[in-house]
Amino acid sequence: MPALVSKSLRDYRRSLIRWTIGIGAFFTLYLSFYPNISENQEIYGPQALAKFPGAMRDLMGGMEDFTSGIGYLSSVVYQLFGPMLFIACAMILGNRAIAQPEESGTLELTVTLPVDRRRLVFERFVALVLGLLAVTVATFLLAWALSAVADMGVAFGRILAAHTGVFLLALLCGTLSLAVGAATGHKGLAMAVVGVVAVGGYIVETMGKNVDWISWLRWVSPFHYYLDGEPLYQGFPVGNYLVLAGATVVLLLTAILAFDRRDVGV
Amino acid sequence: MTAVVETEGLTKFYGKRRGLEDLDLEIRPGEVFGYLGPNGAGKTTTIRLLLDVIRPTRGRMSVLGAEPRDPAVRSRIGYLPGELALEGNEKARDYLAFLGGVRGGVSKDRISALAERLDADLSVPMGKLSKGNKQKVGLIQAFMHEPEFLILDEPTGGLDPLVQQEFLAMVREVRAGGRTVLMSSHVLAEVEDVADRVGIVRGGRLVAVEDVTALREKAVRRMELHFETPVPREAFEDLPGVRDLRVEGASVRCTIDGRPDALIKAAARFTVVHLVSAEPDLEEIFLTYYSENEEQEGRHARAGV
Repeated sequence: MPALVSKSLRDYRRSLIRWTIGIGAFFTLYLSFYPNISENQEIYGPQALAKFPGAMRDLMGGMEDFTSGIGYLSSVVYQLFGPMLFIACAMILGNRAIAQPEESGTLELTVTLPVDRRRLVFERFVALVLGLLAVTVATFLLAWALSAVADMGVAFGRILAAHTGVFLLALLCGTLSLAVGAATGHKGLAMAVVGVVAVGGYIVETMGKNVDWISWLRWVSPFHYYLDGEPLYQGFPVGNYLVLAGATVVLLLTAILAFDRRDVGV
Repeated sequence: MTAVVETEGLTKFYGKRRGLEDLDLEIRPGEVFGYLGPNGAGKTTTIRLLLDVIRPTRGRMSVLGAEPRDPAVRSRIGYLPGELALEGNEKARDYLAFLGGVRGGVSKDRISALAERLDADLSVPMGKLSKGNKQKVGLIQAFMHEPEFLILDEPTGGLDPLVQQEFLAMVREVRAGGRTVLMSSHVLAEVEDVADRVGIVRGGRLVAVEDVTALREKAVRRMELHFETPVPREAFEDLPGVRDLRVEGASVRCTIDGRPDALIKAAARFTVVHLVSAEPDLEEIFLTYYSENEEQEGRHARAGV
């Protein structure tokens, strides 16, 4: 493994363990509610959910079905909170590539190593991918095991499809923070941009379904390419996932070119 | 022999603020070059340009015969940043092993030997190191791969006097090995013991490059001679370079411009019991450089009005 990748992963190790525990706790907690909900159809059933205002239901991803295993997973776990936790994790890792070490001053020695600037950004990106992948794999196995224990009746492949989508969505956001950091060197700016894209993108995608004047914006929302394919119901939305992966590659190339031509630490 | 550093019209502006303007600098192989100037004069800007951390606004430079943009050349350079940041839970030893690995491999023994020499504890997490210990880790990483060219930005900050001496010894060894050193400082005293030449920057411009020995010769120094018996004043009058002569019984006091040769030869005719020569204060010489420059700028400014 290239020295900068393994060094970055060593630096991320504690953070990765904490995120795995945190996201794992989220899955465990939410999936532990499921048996209670599935047994109380009259409280959580479609009629009960229909009482919520339409716009709010849209924002929560429709809330059509809480009581089936697949409905619960898709509207509670994989709709908003799960992806947002992964996005936060990816954003923080993305910032640790360039912007954070630049602001703290440790990047100064790194850029004077006999390593090409473009390669530096690329290796930090690889570390982001591998770190995020580790969190994803661990939490996927946990989610799958818990859903089996709770007898949710969701196929392995469907959970894999949803988890893969979360990974690609989070990787895109992490690469966005890496790219903003690589281009500007400002951690705060990178976090603001990711925040706007993630939260704004989610609102646009969910509200846009029923609000015409923002519906066109759904095409630029990263969440669209994750949520619209309904991976838990339909399996892998290959085209949409390729859009997420392609956008990640474009952002990576932008990051590499931007970092290669600017002053560091001024 | 080709120069280790060669710059031509090297200029860096940060937006409208001048960092460095029209620097023509040559650093020769095997010399220790002291780079002096007050804080904010352009020393760090020059150093960061040479290492491709920042890019010039205009001008040309070569380092070890290559473009600084070429990453390969950086494995032949050891660099101590002026503001060294070390943080986190990683132990200094592991960080040094990482840096050494990327630069082509440094043995553990070499790192341990340097750590012992500078009395640095490498088993402490870097975030918990004191300023002085961070500086030691910085020095170890700069020296450990035995680079052809060492660039040290304010290297002695935070070091106690004993470690400073050890550091200066390390610099001398580097020069003895035919390798080259560029070290910056805002005080001359820090570099005059080891530097062959010094360059002075001020307000983003190089105002002078001088040989340290030549500077010493130019320097005014006070001398005091004590003899066994009283000496006649005539014996010391009108000697070249001797000023402010005071003869009182068996003692002679004066100031010397440049070489003390004539005075010594005149004194040799009597029995000398004691001789005191105050080291020339090079700092003062530099201050005169600065102030002359300031006067000139002042004149230009007045002429401009």
